[in-house]
Amino acid sequence: MSAVSVAAKPRAWEEHASLGVSLRGARFVYPGANAGIFDVTLDIAPGELMVCIGPSGCGKTTLLKLIAGFLRLQAGTLQLGGENMAAASVRARECGVVFQSYALFPHMRVWENVAYPLRVRGVAMSERRRRAAAMLELVGLSDLAQRVPAQLSGGQQQRVALARALVFEPRALLLDEPLSALDAATRLTMRDEIRRIQKTQNIASLLITHDQDEALSLADRIAVLREGRLLQVAAPREIYDRPANAFVATFLGRANLLDATVTGRDSVRTPIGALATLAHDVAVGAKAQLLIRPERILPCSSPAPGIENILPVQLRQEHFFGASRHIELTAGGGELKIETSERGPVTHVRVPREAVQFLSPT
Amino acid sequence: MIPRWVSVAYLVYLAIPIALLLIGSFGDLWLNTLLPTGATLKWYREVATDPSFRRAFATSLFVAVAVCAACVVLGLPLAYAVFRTPSARVRAAARVLYQLPVALPALVLAFGFILAFSSEALPWLGSVWLLVAGHTVLGLPYFLQAVVADMQRLGLRTLEDAAESLGSTALQRFIHVVVPALRHSILSGLIVVAALSIGEFQFTNLVAGFLNRTYPVVLLQAFYGATGFACAATVILLGLALTASIAGALSAGGATRVAAANP
Repeated sequence: MSAVSVAAKPRAWEEHASLGVSLRGARFVYPGANAGIFDVTLDIAPGELMVCIGPSGCGKTTLLKLIAGFLRLQAGTLQLGGENMAAASVRARECGVVFQSYALFPHMRVWENVAYPLRVRGVAMSERRRRAAAMLELVGLSDLAQRVPAQLSGGQQQRVALARALVFEPRALLLDEPLSALDAATRLTMRDEIRRIQKTQNIASLLITHDQDEALSLADRIAVLREGRLLQVAAPREIYDRPANAFVATFLGRANLLDATVTGRDSVRTPIGALATLAHDVAVGAKAQLLIRPERILPCSSPAPGIENILPVQLRQEHFFGASRHIELTAGGGELKIETSERGPVTHVRVPREAVQFLSPT
Repeated sequence: MIPRWVSVAYLVYLAIPIALLLIGSFGDLWLNTLLPTGATLKWYREVATDPSFRRAFATSLFVAVAVCAACVVLGLPLAYAVFRTPSARVRAAARVLYQLPVALPALVLAFGFILAFSSEALPWLGSVWLLVAGHTVLGLPYFLQAVVADMQRLGLRTLEDAAESLGSTALQRFIHVVVPALRHSILSGLIVVAALSIGEFQFTNLVAGFLNRTYPVVLLQAFYGATGFACAATVILLGLALTASIAGALSAGGATRVAAANP
């Protein structure tokens, strides 16, 4: 769950959003079904990598197909590189699409696959070879240019697909679960590769995934989609630290969600016991939902007098991951998940005030 | 151990008739003995110089090649249409329809042809093109089966989506992607079709005109004559079926190469 460090200075995409992908009020409902995309507005700036994440059936692939043109918007507008494209054909949109199944042409050599977009654009053969070779160099496959796709590993095939999607300088790069068909180790290297290549090409990119680690570690911004609606669009840290609601909190990262009753300006009552919180403006007596991230709860061996928010706990279950332990505990009348690198037995935990967040109702 | 014995026994069972045919075709005299006596090439010489056999040989070859061509011209767009139909129900119905000739005896088709084409409006009974038409009906299901299955296996839909997003027109997609990606199944489909056409007897025997009889139809007469002659003629049919399959495969390979070379 490591986020690539992102500086807090204003980003290019905040200034030139109109040149990348701009989707406004997008709507598409599948005929005879209640599923689709409802009123989605999303901007992706040149050079920005937007990761769209959500449970299966949330409409994330639909979103990609609407931008690529495989599906047509029923309402709303779409701009690619500053041009209106809502009614344009797939060809005219010029989006580089990378498919989960790679979709390489099995009868063409690697370099011919990469050169294909140039071939249909009537680029001369020598120029095609030159640009395909340059692209293959960028993805690190120069040695395999003469192979056919069946002779490549999954990771290599996905690199070819990426080179092919970028060689014609598309208006946007769209990646549909590009890593989900790869084994775990390859997936990690390909993550970095995609990031590196996307940055060198400085292209507006949308990556679809259902893998939260992928989203948090790759994205400039994450868009969380559920049942066809955007719940939150924000940088990984913000999504993780300030999720818009309980669904986002549990979908990205592990979370303790507690139903609480407000008992004072900086205190609440919860199933696990009374907790002191930072000052809040929720009315006394009101119900609230709280989020506490497991890694922010600190194990301690005994109740130390004078320190607030210390709770006695009983062990329910423990998973050992080497660097950390995921421990499920019972505290008072509720349950608590914690994550710690401490090795000793856990009899009490301390919940720092600032670890307790109020969630807005879903 | 037992599975191996079963397979060996089955192979022997398969090979014995062919071996006997080969032996018989080179044997001089074969009456009431287990194997023929003497060795000769005269049966092959006789078959090769027999005008009706020569003519039948050419007819069979021509029909097989024409049927392969018809299967590509009709079958490829048909397979594509079946594959691309969005409705699963229409797809299932189409499949039942095009598989129908497999379930029906060729006899039914022959009677239908005789009824339809002996009329004054359509007086084409006996024409070689009618044989081509009939064999195409009989062979097309196998061709379609091979090609549609390959389309699904390859994920042709996604390949086309990819090609479209990369900027190709519908025609470019068909020529650059669809046909060459399917070349293996097109070839294997045509091999089956060619072999089927070469060996077809039931339909051809009823519909072929006297001058357009195919090899198997003429071959039947050989069995009223000398055993060696019949054996030699049958071995030639085996060779012919093999040749037609290879020719079909080569021509289809050439066709796809030509198509792929013209952007």
